[in-house]
Amino acid sequence: MTYPASGRKFPRITIDMEKCTVPFLCKRCLQACPTAVFNVRRIIAKEERLKEMDPRIDGNYVLSAPRTDKCTACNKCIEVCPVAALKIEVP
Amino acid sequence: MCYLCKEYGDPEVAGGVWYLNPKNYARNMYKLRQPGQGFAEPGLYLEGGRRGGPGLPELLAALEKGDQAEYDHIRKTMHTNTFSGGGSQVVPLKDADKVLELCSPIALIACICRNAVRAIDERNELEYTCMGMGVGMLKWERWPERYKGGVKFVNIDEAKDWNHEMDRRGFVHLLMLFGAPYIGGFCQCDYPDCQALRNAVDFGIGTLKSHYVAVVDYDVCNGCGICAQRCQWGALKFEVTSEKANIDQFKCYGCGLCETGCPRTAIKLVERKGLPAVAEVWT
Repeated sequence: MTYPASGRKFPRITIDMEKCTVPFLCKRCLQACPTAVFNVRRIIAKEERLKEMDPRIDGNYVLSAPRTDKCTACNKCIEVCPVAALKIEVP
Repeated sequence: MCYLCKEYGDPEVAGGVWYLNPKNYARNMYKLRQPGQGFAEPGLYLEGGRRGGPGLPELLAALEKGDQAEYDHIRKTMHTNTFSGGGSQVVPLKDADKVLELCSPIALIACICRNAVRAIDERNELEYTCMGMGVGMLKWERWPERYKGGVKFVNIDEAKDWNHEMDRRGFVHLLMLFGAPYIGGFCQCDYPDCQALRNAVDFGIGTLKSHYVAVVDYDVCNGCGICAQRCQWGALKFEVTSEKANIDQFKCYGCGLCETGCPRTAIKLVERKGLPAVAEVWT
């Protein structure tokens, strides 16, 4: 099952990486989003791929918003973000 | 017939069901990674079935463009590509018990999807919500980031009990392929946190329905609505007019959560092939 290609434009979520440095530790937006739009993953260099990554260290994890098709622009993520790193634009 | 049964089932073993064929649990099914070939990163699964082909960004772009033909083409390509190295099939609890008897070793592990989508850090056996299976689990220590709290190896009975408890909590059981027919795990999924289940519900990508569909016995159903809370697929709802459960068998993935949750056993899983019009509806 899937939805039809309606041509609806999805909200654009921009994340300021300068401000959002420890998303796995913070995790506020990830858990506040009603439709689970966000995703967090570790960033690792090839030689470090077997290492455990400390979520407290800046830049070890990076936040993204892949499922914008489910974003309702409710702004709950913006409300909970402690560093004001998120912006949502509705086309 | 599901394509996995066509490829990996034996008509003389367990009615041809691929995951009940002991051959598919043999050690030599485990595929060593080829030099230069990447391994799955947490979060990459969100892109479901990229593997050199189109992924989620292209899929969403086609949706925004309103190009149905392109969208369907990308969807189908992603579905096929997913099964080149992964993919999954829904398995109801009664068949899950049989799978656990065939597979060894079995380990309880942290869920990689909840980690990526909700930043949930499962660090001990009380928190683990995923099950890793097969000889690949024996080298878990090579991935400290993936298995932060370690893993908990369990015997068959412990694994079954754990699976039943997850079923009681309302998780769907997805048998994960790590290069068909090698079975690498039993995911315990819900919407929207599990990416395999979510890709299946939202786009029909990467997960095959089970060999069963659920049907309601209207003489027994008293309309308590418990089943409606357990359906992760949007297939079962409370029909106000009749005051009973109503199942859309075309949306039903045959996970059996409604069946195991029904206090009056009013819902039964029947063989998918028994309903000719849905017999070949696998996504």
